Amino acid sequence: MCGRLPRFLALATVLAWASAGTWSQSAFTDNDWPTYGGDLGNTRYRPFDQINASNFDQLEVAWRFKTDNLGNHPEYKLEGTPLVVNGVLYATGGTRRDVVALDAATGELLWVHGEHEGERGANAPRGLSGRGLAYWSDGKESRIIYATPGYRLIALDAKTGEYSKGFGDHGVVDLKLNDDQKIDLIHGAIGTQAAPIVTGNEILIGAAFVDGGDIASKTEYKGYVRAFDVRTGKRLWIFHTVPMKGEFGYDTWLNGSAEYTGNTGMWTQMSVDEQLGLAYLPIELPTGDDYGGNRPGNTLFGESLVCVDLKTGKRKWHYQLVHHGLWDMDISAPPILGDIVVNGKTIKAVAQPTKESMLYVFDRVTGEPVWPIVEKPVPQGDVPGEWYSRTQPFPTKPPAYDRNGISVEDLIDFTPKLRADALRFIQSYAIGPVFSPPVLSKVSGPLALLTLGTNNGGTNWAGGSYDPETHLLFVSSCSSCLIPMGIVPAPKDVSDMGYLKGIAGQPVVARIAGTGAGESADALATKDKGMKGIPASPATRGPPRIGLSVDGLPLIKPPYGRFTAIDLDKGEIKWQIPFGPTPDAVRYSPLLKDLKIPPTGESGLSVGSLVTKALVIAGDGAVGTSASGIRGAALHAYDKATGKEIGAIYLPAPQTGSPMTYMLNGKQYIVVAVGGATYSGEYIAFTLPSE
Amino acid sequence: MRSPYPLNKIVALAIVVFGALIALEILAAQAPPSVWDGVYTQEQAKRGETAYVERCARCHRDDLSSGDSVPPLAGTEFLSTWNTKTVGDIFDRIRTTMPSDKPGTLTRQLDSDILAYILSVNKFPAGNTELGTQTELLKQIQFDAFKQ
Repeated sequence: MCGRLPRFLALATVLAWASAGTWSQSAFTDNDWPTYGGDLGNTRYRPFDQINASNFDQLEVAWRFKTDNLGNHPEYKLEGTPLVVNGVLYATGGTRRDVVALDAATGELLWVHGEHEGERGANAPRGLSGRGLAYWSDGKESRIIYATPGYRLIALDAKTGEYSKGFGDHGVVDLKLNDDQKIDLIHGAIGTQAAPIVTGNEILIGAAFVDGGDIASKTEYKGYVRAFDVRTGKRLWIFHTVPMKGEFGYDTWLNGSAEYTGNTGMWTQMSVDEQLGLAYLPIELPTGDDYGGNRPGNTLFGESLVCVDLKTGKRKWHYQLVHHGLWDMDISAPPILGDIVVNGKTIKAVAQPTKESMLYVFDRVTGEPVWPIVEKPVPQGDVPGEWYSRTQPFPTKPPAYDRNGISVEDLIDFTPKLRADALRFIQSYAIGPVFSPPVLSKVSGPLALLTLGTNNGGTNWAGGSYDPETHLLFVSSCSSCLIPMGIVPAPKDVSDMGYLKGIAGQPVVARIAGTGAGESADALATKDKGMKGIPASPATRGPPRIGLSVDGLPLIKPPYGRFTAIDLDKGEIKWQIPFGPTPDAVRYSPLLKDLKIPPTGESGLSVGSLVTKALVIAGDGAVGTSASGIRGAALHAYDKATGKEIGAIYLPAPQTGSPMTYMLNGKQYIVVAVGGATYSGEYIAFTLPSE
Repeated sequence: MRSPYPLNKIVALAIVVFGALIALEILAAQAPPSVWDGVYTQEQAKRGETAYVERCARCHRDDLSSGDSVPPLAGTEFLSTWNTKTVGDIFDRIRTTMPSDKPGTLTRQLDSDILAYILSVNKFPAGNTELGTQTELLKQIQFDAFKQ
């Protein structure tokens, strides 16, 4: 069943297995962090309070693990959340996405496993170290499960790092096979950077692709979701995220577009309620981030939250958050499960943070919205061939927790001159509220639509966290992540899409490589690839524009990023603060030197958080200057009830992966992945000083 | 009769003064250069532009604005990210991780030319000397993005 390329070289190396005493055969406990999101509901919560408001500032480094040598060159985008079970920490890292097992108390390397995938790995649409892995145990045997960049599912003995016996073909299941579609084993650009999920004896996994609005073809593989037997690797079920003919939802794809359109994958983390026997699948949009003329219709299950039966994969309910998406909203963040109390009634809820900064809350048993979600008319566009949904769904509660559109009131206003300059700048663009349509780009204007709550968010893959004690959901979001959305005709030799994302006057290009592509350790094995349509000579190029800025300052006014607590019992925002340090571009601007600028927060992808009994914790995603005047990037602790900052520990580089925590030998640890600019990826463990 | 200013004292004073002047000059020369001191030439930036379009624009875009998950190479975010680092730091990051589909395969000269182009787009002034190719020397050039 599972063909395996013979040339793969397994690097499984048992350096040492520490003392047998560190391994317990019992199932994991609350002291552990056994799955990516802390639990299968992605709460990122642990009931610890050893590290608390009185001592957070005293945290010190327990150990560090640098990932440079996991792969043939360093990685600067370490996004993993490690797992900890019974004193051993498991994580992915490096440009080869190796798996390491570390002594969770000291960081000592116990074993490492890497896969050399050659050209197949080099063609991966999602390279680099990924977000993590999964753990399974039946009390006798334990396994680590992860997906390689080349889209193979690997099962390793958690004690030794050797391939698990009985799983697939010598420990490997080829995910490009048995997928109800024919996929080129070497060149097929399908993969995943998400951590697989293990529930009971099942492994659940989705798919990701070359992303973007500038793609070479409307024809793409489909991102089905599958379950595999954790012991044998046998496929248990598949959910067609793009329905096949005769299946529910097929008729939402007009003109037979379901036959060739792909993507519609699940690239972010999913959630599971084992008691209900249900899984919650957050599905991305179909092929073409900004142009949907080749996929007319509402196109289920694009940008839908789909609830399926854990045993069969059959759909129980679904809710489409965006009809016929044109904004790359996807569903980017893990759904969060919590039991809330609304008007005295307990509801098993699922809450979905999004790039559009709207939180959609459902009864996770029935799929009914906890508060009404209403369809409202939205502006219609005029891009040739495009199909527009006349309405889009808007939650009535809670209110949007960040900007998801732009009006002139959102433009920079430190001084009247800057506001005037900004107004002049946007004359070349269109602006508008959420769900404003991308525009046909013209040199005479508009060059593009400027809006917020799209490609980079709002809330991106790192998602939120949830406190089951107070029923508060915490989420960070970008308040200023602007990506111009212009549409240009696509030359036939560049793409068969007809129209692509682009700016008039610039070369029309189409990507054939995805996020992290090629940066993987196998990249050197291939010939040039990556882009179609790049001109051979720069002779015809005009002067480059420097971003969407005004006099060297961001076009959008502060805050540039936010951190929000939402009361899920009431559907209200409990508190909200600017999140992240003030960027140097603002702090050192000569135009602002006579002004006192309050903390602005940072722009950039949202960051992940961690909740404990005592605190909510999140790290800066960029270097800048904090409210106290310190320049750097820190891990911050906040009072859960008020958002007041109660501590900060400075990091050598910004947070790149979401923090997690565990208890070991009576001590609480917090581990976070950091990196960026000159600092390559590193996991750092913090704990309190020994008395 | 003895001169009130013996020759040997005059010579000694002259040596001290001369020495002090030299020392000052050396000190001035050793003040760390920054990106504001004209550390690349226009011709080099032009060469770098050609290489950029061929090798980098595929992900970082024609206008260096980048986009989905790719960091920009111009503007506020780029300047804030690299502020207080050195030109050598940026050079080494390019050299070891770019281009993303074949990291580490450009020559040092091409890396340097591309970096010169990036500096020019970010409006740091050109000068009479080309940006070099030795990391340790480039690390002496401060990336003070926001002149104070």
